[in-house]
Amino acid sequence: MVGETLKFWLMIAWLLPLAGFVVEIFFGFYSKNPRHSKAAAWCAVGCIGIGFLCSANALRIWGNANEWCVLEAAEHGDPGDTQADAGHHETDSAEHQTAYSGVIYTLGVFGSLEVTLDYYIDSLTLVMFTMVTLIATCIHVFAIGYMSDELTDEYVDHSAHTSDGGHVHRPGRFYRFFAFMSLFCFAMLGLVLAGNIFQVFIFWELVGICSFLLIGFYTERKTASDAANKAFIMNRIGDFGFLIGLMVLWTFFGTFRFGDTVVDEQVVDQGLFSMVHRDGTGNVARDEVTGDVLITDTHGHVLTNEDGSNRQIPYYLLVVIGLGIFAGCVGKSAQFPLQTWLPDAMEGPTPVSALVHSATMVAAGVYLAGRFFPMFVQEVLLTIAYTGCITLFLAATIAMVATDIKKVLAYSTISQLGYMMLGIGVFGWAAGLFHLITHAFFKSLMFLCSGSVIYGCHHEQEMPKMGGLLWKMPITAFTMLVGVCAISGFWLPFGLHFSGFHSKDAIVASALAFIHANPAHFMLFLIPLLTAGITAFYMFRMWFYTFVGKPRDQHVHDHAHESPWVMTVPLLILAAFAWFCAYGGESGHLYLMLTGDEPSHLAADVTAATAGGINLPGHAAIHAVHDDAGRWALIAALSGALIAYVLYGTNVVNVEEIKRQLGGVHGFLANKWYFDDLYDALFMKPAHKVAAFCAWFDGAVFDRILHGAAKSMIVVSKWDRVFDETVVDGFVNLIASATQSVGASLRVVQTGRLRQYVMFIVLGVVALFAVMFTTFPG
Amino acid sequence: MPAELNSYLLVGAVLFVCGVICMATKRNAIGVLMGVELVLNGANVNFVAFSKFTTLGLDGQVFSLFVIVLAAAEAAVALAIVLNFYNNHLTVDVDRGNKLKG
Amino acid sequence: MSLFFTIFALAACLGAVAVVISQSVVRMAFWLVVSLGSVAGLFFLADADFIGAAQLLIYVGGTLVLLVFGIMLTASGPYMKIPASPGETVVAGLIGVMFLFMVFATINGVDWDGSRDRIMAATHQTEGATGFDDRSEGNTLRPLGFALLGVRPDVPNGVAGAGYLLPFEIASVHLLVVLIGAAYLARAKRRQDVV
Repeated sequence: MVGETLKFWLMIAWLLPLAGFVVEIFFGFYSKNPRHSKAAAWCAVGCIGIGFLCSANALRIWGNANEWCVLEAAEHGDPGDTQADAGHHETDSAEHQTAYSGVIYTLGVFGSLEVTLDYYIDSLTLVMFTMVTLIATCIHVFAIGYMSDELTDEYVDHSAHTSDGGHVHRPGRFYRFFAFMSLFCFAMLGLVLAGNIFQVFIFWELVGICSFLLIGFYTERKTASDAANKAFIMNRIGDFGFLIGLMVLWTFFGTFRFGDTVVDEQVVDQGLFSMVHRDGTGNVARDEVTGDVLITDTHGHVLTNEDGSNRQIPYYLLVVIGLGIFAGCVGKSAQFPLQTWLPDAMEGPTPVSALVHSATMVAAGVYLAGRFFPMFVQEVLLTIAYTGCITLFLAATIAMVATDIKKVLAYSTISQLGYMMLGIGVFGWAAGLFHLITHAFFKSLMFLCSGSVIYGCHHEQEMPKMGGLLWKMPITAFTMLVGVCAISGFWLPFGLHFSGFHSKDAIVASALAFIHANPAHFMLFLIPLLTAGITAFYMFRMWFYTFVGKPRDQHVHDHAHESPWVMTVPLLILAAFAWFCAYGGESGHLYLMLTGDEPSHLAADVTAATAGGINLPGHAAIHAVHDDAGRWALIAALSGALIAYVLYGTNVVNVEEIKRQLGGVHGFLANKWYFDDLYDALFMKPAHKVAAFCAWFDGAVFDRILHGAAKSMIVVSKWDRVFDETVVDGFVNLIASATQSVGASLRVVQTGRLRQYVMFIVLGVVALFAVMFTTFPG
Repeated sequence: MPAELNSYLLVGAVLFVCGVICMATKRNAIGVLMGVELVLNGANVNFVAFSKFTTLGLDGQVFSLFVIVLAAAEAAVALAIVLNFYNNHLTVDVDRGNKLKG
Repeated sequence: MSLFFTIFALAACLGAVAVVISQSVVRMAFWLVVSLGSVAGLFFLADADFIGAAQLLIYVGGTLVLLVFGIMLTASGPYMKIPASPGETVVAGLIGVMFLFMVFATINGVDWDGSRDRIMAATHQTEGATGFDDRSEGNTLRPLGFALLGVRPDVPNGVAGAGYLLPFEIASVHLLVVLIGAAYLARAKRRQDVV
């Protein structure tokens, strides 16, 4: 019953934006004066706002149904006694149902393949729903102000040029922007609600297309349409791996569902997660002879095929499934090596960057990695960890030298996504998703702040032209400072730590515990630690660059102004969440909600276990190193911030001088590690070469063959014509002329003279008789 | 008996041939009609001769009676046609009736 | 061969030849009267007195008068001649002679007695039907009347259905049709565009 109720509320939250999309796109199109009306915006805000209320209500219902069992740990939890705490938590979860799954709608049944829309609701789903709808509501409200210059019949786009060198003039697209945003919300919520991996894939592609539409919103700009194409194509590479994973998954497991469908406490339809059984050390159940992975029922008993043999899947194919799904996550979350599309995606309007390209869609990759965690084996997790590690370092270094305020934030996003992936990869499932939530808040906050700055500076994005804006736009500046402190992970007394402190702490702690168990992988700790410093550095650099110091461009400075309330109120709301949403850290409500349905491979009290050659740290092991890790991370962040202050906040050091002295490194970073050039050389140029060769081959060979065929056809048809005209026509004409000449000669006999006819008759009679006499004589 | 029969038949033959020549040479439409009458009479002579001299019996006379009747009818219709022809062409020259010649 | 037969035969033949030779239509009509009248005489000689009478009445009395009317209505002059070309006349004469010769040869070539015997053998006739009955000489009116009504007392063993009732009726209807048709065709019409 609770499941049905939850489904009801979440489906309202999910489908309202779709209805909003339909209304906005069609009514916006047909209404009398769509260019000047804000109705579409309020419609979108209403839909997503109601969605937020529904989500919050669903969260309340869910909590009441299980008596908030997942939060009880906080009440009588003792930080020093984590084992007992975790054990208690386990038992509570066992008593209360926290995860619900079932079928929403059956799309079709093809043989044994049942394509359905399912729902899977657990604490992660609910937290994601609430987070997405809350942030989306704030961003929608912000966008009303930010996009208001589209409320015109003739919008002049100064960044797009017509062929004759002028600016592009076009009608405003206010309503279309909000329609796309609503469609995106629908797709994103569907992705979160999805109860099977195939449904995830559907909405995965839907958010992809929304991202494409929104990046290319200023479609007249060449850079914007190129960026939209780039984002879409890069994602296709990842989705290709996703599809391969889906095929293998279907072949061996025969279902796409995550959870078991339970009716009257009987499992009627087993889901994927219970099919791979793990022992207490985190190892999957394997056949002793072949080494294949056994597929089990919900109680760990091996399922059998119809011929009595055990159902099993080769181990390497389980790895392939994991890597395939993760490839999709790499594309969507802009991880190395597919990270290049996300900075270009900043061509879209800033609210889009805030919602789609920092808080929600790119986080969907991390969400899926977390959701699919029970199916990942150790090799896959290690791949995820290293991918995240490379990405976070790479992106952070580029962010240090970026000058475009949105590009800095974009690289920061990539870097933070790398942190999340690393967290999941080093077995810190909760840490990774914890960071996902906190990051969504403070990154969307910072993007909106940057949007406010851009709006206030009349669409100026280059930081070297800003500076000294602190008292020009104080609300923006201070909310931005909250976001910067949050992402840097600063500690404050009385437990008022910024949310990033808790979440990054958790990740670094997981990494530290991991390298304690596996010293060979020490890079997985050192690099994130170093990058924590870099993060603080580039974030404060951005803040100092923008808000303090002397105005570098007097024109920009003179015209800068604070944004209207419709833009600042969302900033304040988000700033509050960015600061306090993780209150309490790992004993706080947010963390406990997330971990309520944590899929752990390990029993809670296991310190470390060896699985597949890799030692897995348990919760206890992570907790043991937590304070150490927090200290190290804080020191790194503080030093990074200090350097930034020295370099950019004061005039002690000449930054240009440093830049000149380190010209090689700076150029390397400013050119984004030459990844775009590398891809250009590796894929684009060969593709162009191959295409040129194909074009040449086409022109030289195929065209020649075709022309030869055409010419020979002409020759043949000429001969055919001759044959037709002489032989066929000649024959026909011969018959005709023969008939005519016979007729003409017979015409002579038909004299029309009566007496001659009589004569002919007589002659005929005489002749007949003569013949008779000669033939029958006697 | 054969001699008598042959004499009748010879008379019939002469009448017939004369009728045919008449039809073949006369340009006057009424002359042509007279040729037709002669031909029919030749045939009648033969019928009557066969009626008298062979097993044909009374049937020959019945047939010649029919021939006379049809000849009269034919003459009436033919004369009507000739009159029409004369109305149209103001002549009875059959050579003028060549309108249908292609 | 009786004298009368010779006279009538010669008159008939010479009349016919005269019809061919004459150029004037009126003369042709006169010679036709001679020829047809002689044929009627031949009919009487052949014991066909009703046919002969009908010949005189219908032909000489009816048809010839009709023809003369036709001549009168159409002739543009009393002695109008429409001469045929001499070549045509010669050719027609030659062909006629050939035709005559052929018919003569045919008549002389047939064995009439033999064929009569074969017919009688084939039809199992032994007696009678050997031509017209001499005993009722000159009195053919009654048998003809019966024959036209469908009764054949003259046929031995009375073969049923050998009469001529149906042809008689058809002939009568035919005459009616001809009467109407001829009247329709020959009615006086005023033509506008006389050629």
